[in-house]
Amino acid sequence: MAGQIQRMIQTVITQKAKGNTVIANSIRTKMYLKGVAVDKFTAASPDDPAVMQKVREIAKEFGIIV
Amino acid sequence: MAIKTFSIKGADSRDVARQAREALADFQPKLLLFFASSVYEGPAAALSEAFPGCEIIGSSSHSEYCNAGYTSGSVSIMAMDAGSLEDVYVQVVENIGAEPDLREVMNTMHGHFGGADEILSNFERYVGIVLFESSAKAEEVFMDRLGTATDLLFVGGSSSAADGGQSLVYANGRSYTSAAVLAILKTANGYGVLKTQSAHIFSERKLAVTKSNLRNRTLYEFDHRPCGEVYAEVLGVGENEIQNYFVCNPLGVVAGDEIFVRTFNQIQDGGITLHCGLPEGTEINVLKIGDIVDDTRKALDEAIPYQPAGVINFNCLYRTLEILDKNQVEPYCALFGRYPSIGFSTNGEAFYGHINETSTILVIK
Repeated sequence: MAGQIQRMIQTVITQKAKGNTVIANSIRTKMYLKGVAVDKFTAASPDDPAVMQKVREIAKEFGIIV
Repeated sequence: MAIKTFSIKGADSRDVARQAREALADFQPKLLLFFASSVYEGPAAALSEAFPGCEIIGSSSHSEYCNAGYTSGSVSIMAMDAGSLEDVYVQVVENIGAEPDLREVMNTMHGHFGGADEILSNFERYVGIVLFESSAKAEEVFMDRLGTATDLLFVGGSSSAADGGQSLVYANGRSYTSAAVLAILKTANGYGVLKTQSAHIFSERKLAVTKSNLRNRTLYEFDHRPCGEVYAEVLGVGENEIQNYFVCNPLGVVAGDEIFVRTFNQIQDGGITLHCGLPEGTEINVLKIGDIVDDTRKALDEAIPYQPAGVINFNCLYRTLEILDKNQVEPYCALFGRYPSIGFSTNGEAFYGHINETSTILVIK
């Protein structure tokens, strides 16, 4: 499998921002500062379990389940 | 007049407060923001006595900026009245080293303005100021939690002190250590925020932080190799020389168009300590420092194509020392002399996260 990390990140941003582009950008930046290089992950990125767990934890902090 | 800015040197804090009262004789401030040289004892108490009913927040400082001036041993004050500020709500979070959960604090603050939905619906009018007392060295975790607890943008910096002075933040007429002062401003005409770091990407090579201690701000490994060895490789210098490059070549988290600078402190305990911790998994670039005056001019001109009511500059102490060293104080201050402005030399800046060697700027329209 590949691309799950990108999908998870997009879910966090979309659900948290609720269509507000300013907030979407701020969530992206906050994820970078939490140690997730958002733009690095593409549909072809391998599903690294450690990164997936990190994104899950960030999502949980934001009150989102991915 | 919606905002007044002025600098005072007084015999003591009571004298400063007396002069401030005179300067604002025909002005009804809702908020006083001040940056006071640490030579003054109890400035918040003195100002609170002089301005009852006014919210007053501030920080101790190594050195102060006001309009086109740079001083030390002074107090820079910005007074905002109803023409620029509809409402303000201040909270103090103490013992920030214990990494408090900020959700309740933010719920209270949001609630003052009618809730988070009201703030989000009028996002262009609400902005936060955060002032950290810097000795706790807990800003990065605090900003992370603040960013989780609110979508509101907080801008600010960490306190500094003159030689031998005490670093403090101020609110409610009191002085605080190991605390963060949070203020939400409901502006009358909106606001702008900018961040300029005069740091540019030196190498496009991305380095992954594979071993670090966020809380004690120590970096051990990039890409599973000793960080000093990799840093030297990127710079093309010997590993025994890297300390000579710490100031000119800091690290940066590059998030889209934004660079978040992390500066080095020293080689220690098998790693390198930083002035801001990096979590494992972070990708960074090695940066190079540019021309502070030139880069600041470009950033201000691009971000402020209008006459603002006031500008607050949280300028890193490293940057102050750099412009002093290069005899650039006058041209730097001239940039801010174009606006009613205050600022101080900070021990870290706040913008989404805790950052270094940067100027974070809040513009009140």
